[in-house]
Amino acid sequence: MSSDPEKSGNEAVVPEGTAAFGAGPGLDSEGARVVEAEGGDGRQTGGPWAIAWRRLRRNKFALFALGVFFVILICCLLAPVWANHVAHTGPNTTHTLEKLHEGGEVKEVVEPSGKAIGPQWFSAGGKFFLGADGHLGRDEMVRLLYGGRSSLFIGIVAAIITTVLAVILGLLAGYYSGWTDTVISRIMDVIWAFPVVLLAIALGIVLAVGGLEIGPIHVKSSSLWIPTLIIGVVYTPYMARPLRGEVLALREKEFIEAAVAQGAGSLRIMFVELMPNLISTIIVFFTLNIANNMLLEAVLSYLGAGVQPPSSSWGTMISEGFEALYSQPLLTIIPGTAILLTVLSVNIFGDGLRDALDPKSKVRFEARAGTSDPDAIGPV
Amino acid sequence: MKKLSVFLTIAVLAAVMAVVLAACGGGSSTTSPATTTEEEAGGGGGAPAEGEGNEGGTLKGAYTSFPDYMDPQISYTAEGWTAMRPVYVPLLTYKAASEAEGAEIIPGLAEELPKVTNGGKTYTMHLRKGLKYSNGEEIKAGDFKYAVERCFLTNSGGSPFYTDIVGAEQFAKTKKGGISGIKTNEKTGEIVINLVKPRGTFNNELALMFVAPVPQSTPDEDQSATPPPASGPYMITKSQPGRGWDYERNPYWAKDNGKQIEIPAGHVDKIEIEVNRNQSTQVNDIESGKLNWIFDPPPTDRYQEVKEKFEGTQFRLEPTISTYYFWMNETQEPFNNLKVREAVNYAVDPAALERVYTGQIKGTQQILPPGMPGYEKFELFPHNVKKAKELVAESGVKDKEVTVWTDSESPNNDAGTYYAGVLNEIGIKAELKILNPDNYFTVIGNTSTPNLDTGFADWFEDYPHPNDFFGILLNGESIQSTNNQNFSQTNVPELNEKINKLATEQLGPTQEKEYAELDKAFMEQAAWAPYGTRTLSLFVSENINLETAIWNPTFETELTSLEFKE
Repeated sequence: MSSDPEKSGNEAVVPEGTAAFGAGPGLDSEGARVVEAEGGDGRQTGGPWAIAWRRLRRNKFALFALGVFFVILICCLLAPVWANHVAHTGPNTTHTLEKLHEGGEVKEVVEPSGKAIGPQWFSAGGKFFLGADGHLGRDEMVRLLYGGRSSLFIGIVAAIITTVLAVILGLLAGYYSGWTDTVISRIMDVIWAFPVVLLAIALGIVLAVGGLEIGPIHVKSSSLWIPTLIIGVVYTPYMARPLRGEVLALREKEFIEAAVAQGAGSLRIMFVELMPNLISTIIVFFTLNIANNMLLEAVLSYLGAGVQPPSSSWGTMISEGFEALYSQPLLTIIPGTAILLTVLSVNIFGDGLRDALDPKSKVRFEARAGTSDPDAIGPV
Repeated sequence: MKKLSVFLTIAVLAAVMAVVLAACGGGSSTTSPATTTEEEAGGGGGAPAEGEGNEGGTLKGAYTSFPDYMDPQISYTAEGWTAMRPVYVPLLTYKAASEAEGAEIIPGLAEELPKVTNGGKTYTMHLRKGLKYSNGEEIKAGDFKYAVERCFLTNSGGSPFYTDIVGAEQFAKTKKGGISGIKTNEKTGEIVINLVKPRGTFNNELALMFVAPVPQSTPDEDQSATPPPASGPYMITKSQPGRGWDYERNPYWAKDNGKQIEIPAGHVDKIEIEVNRNQSTQVNDIESGKLNWIFDPPPTDRYQEVKEKFEGTQFRLEPTISTYYFWMNETQEPFNNLKVREAVNYAVDPAALERVYTGQIKGTQQILPPGMPGYEKFELFPHNVKKAKELVAESGVKDKEVTVWTDSESPNNDAGTYYAGVLNEIGIKAELKILNPDNYFTVIGNTSTPNLDTGFADWFEDYPHPNDFFGILLNGESIQSTNNQNFSQTNVPELNEKINKLATEQLGPTQEKEYAELDKAFMEQAAWAPYGTRTLSLFVSENINLETAIWNPTFETELTSLEFKE
């Protein structure tokens, strides 16, 4: 039996008093089904996901943010295209002694004083579009795009790692409680006890020197997986704790008792009965985690404990640009702006998603809009 | 979680705003005198004491990284030597002067230059009488013997200088029984050193910090946090590794030691050195008067600006006798292959690195730098990437992964990045490893560190003798497990023999010619990929007298020469 209202269609087993996030899109704050009740005017409003989508669709600001994020994502994914067909250089290729010929003018990529060429836009056919990065004369635009790939990879993959670990630990701790809960919760407490940035820096510095070796698995110190794993792990308690709380509440509900009565095993109850009720929380946490992870990556890379040079990430680019802050401030401002735009867009979309998935948000929206019309839902 | 997310977003926004604002500030970041407190400007001690002319006050300085060790027997960096020069005085020392005069050896704690007998194998000196350490303890002749032994007990990188002393090699192995070749007489202060063979550089080596006497109660382990008592004009009153250190005048210098020793007493009463990783902040602090002196040159980003603005008034270029190079570990693949090492030399372009160092190095491709006796210019490997690739192909090395080591101090980090790019270009997969400059040479000097394949290093003369560039850096007999300086682990028996032979001879035109040949012989082995010789700079605050500041070719800034303007 599934507790997913979409699948089971058994409304009788829907629990009462489920927390807003834990209730998922199929449940309201009273635990009643909202599938048919939405609107209250007899209009067929569709399933809970359809309702959430409709709410999200009306939040233009969140959709715009999503659009911005996708534009950035696509640009970064197309980095090799720009590098090979426009800039004709790689992200780590140095051009210290090269000269650019524009019309009759010859420009040195790096002057004898060490100052690099500024943005050329399309005057050199796309080469050095954003200029070169300091004394090594690497193409800033190419590094920005490749750096974005690294930052987004770390942001998204670390969020997946956090999510997987947090869901497993939250389910185990909440469902089994007792010793299992005590052990998992105390481990979480220990990780939580450290300021997240300090813990990540400490791990980053240690692993940046020797790499990671666990049995037959060896991860090189220069691998992107090092900061990814660190960030994924250090944020786990921040997601596992709330999930555990929700599982603790859900496991007392009738649909779980019914599942137990029907002889369902623990794994089935956890992953088939309980997990679908956590989906909305997980989705919201996941998006917000992407933004947080990218910020933490930038901090770690800036401090030399994240992505290791010569690989670029937006954090390493800020760090490298900082050395030329006085003569070439753009080298810091450009990657800083890229982080800002990406993180803001993900955060705004994450907030919009949370509001769309939260049954209580309807009440909130209505209160703000002064109407009971669900179409009045607007951006937060 | 959301709060955290919002917090981090705000933090990034603030950081970007700060960056933008800082950038808009341009180079004119001088703190307004109206807003600079007395404490910031030197804290009362910053200005000369009233009625004392240009004597007194507190000199505030900054280093970008803490020296490798704050221990005279172990430190083997310019950072450490500059810092300890006014604190520990060896039996012989170098004159506190600039250029060639600064290379002159004069008696330090010894009464006179050593009397050399027994065919150059016996050195006899006498310790001056009535000398005291800063803790009031008497300086004894036996303290010199202990200093040499402590050099071996701590596995100091400088210990190979003293292995020719009778019994030293045995002591290095057993660490027991003392060095039999050093005889001291506490009553007369006589010190007799017997060598197993003549050593033409021994006077130079007796003038190094490694053998500056320390009390025999000093533990035979790193004392960076609690440096031994001083024998020089200043003593270190506080040392916080990684953060900074302070000096005060040695109370026994004026009364006892200073009356006998021809070393300047110094002008300021106190010196406070802080470690500040941000070189740009150091420059700002010099401009605002918050700092009076910085050890490191201005960062590459601001070098030209500072040079144009302050040259002649607060800024002075100081040529050095140094070589910047990439070492290649000859004991491991792929650099045990001569063709690969030659390929690297062909591929590394000193002209490109001149730009990486913003003109602060002058390109060379040999071991000996200009200005060193024996230097004869040659260029065995003119830049040729095509030839480099061919050599790598001929060597049979394919897809070999190597680790490139460098430190994070700008522009050494960029030089490492450039070098890794060069290796990748010629078909050697390079992974860059950037370490904190505080422990970079300690890590790469430990032969058990994994993946010591190749990397950045520099060498500034210990003394004006070409053997200094071969004896420790390229003689296979000087390879040691820790504090190793022969990073390439070069060990060519016939060249070792030649180094050893030349080391026994006093330097003359014949020897200089032979050192020039040795230079070429090592480059034919492509032992390193040298790329330049460094120009450093002295940068002081407006209230420091630049004209009287001394730049010693071995110890760089003489802290005892810095004085406030009247």
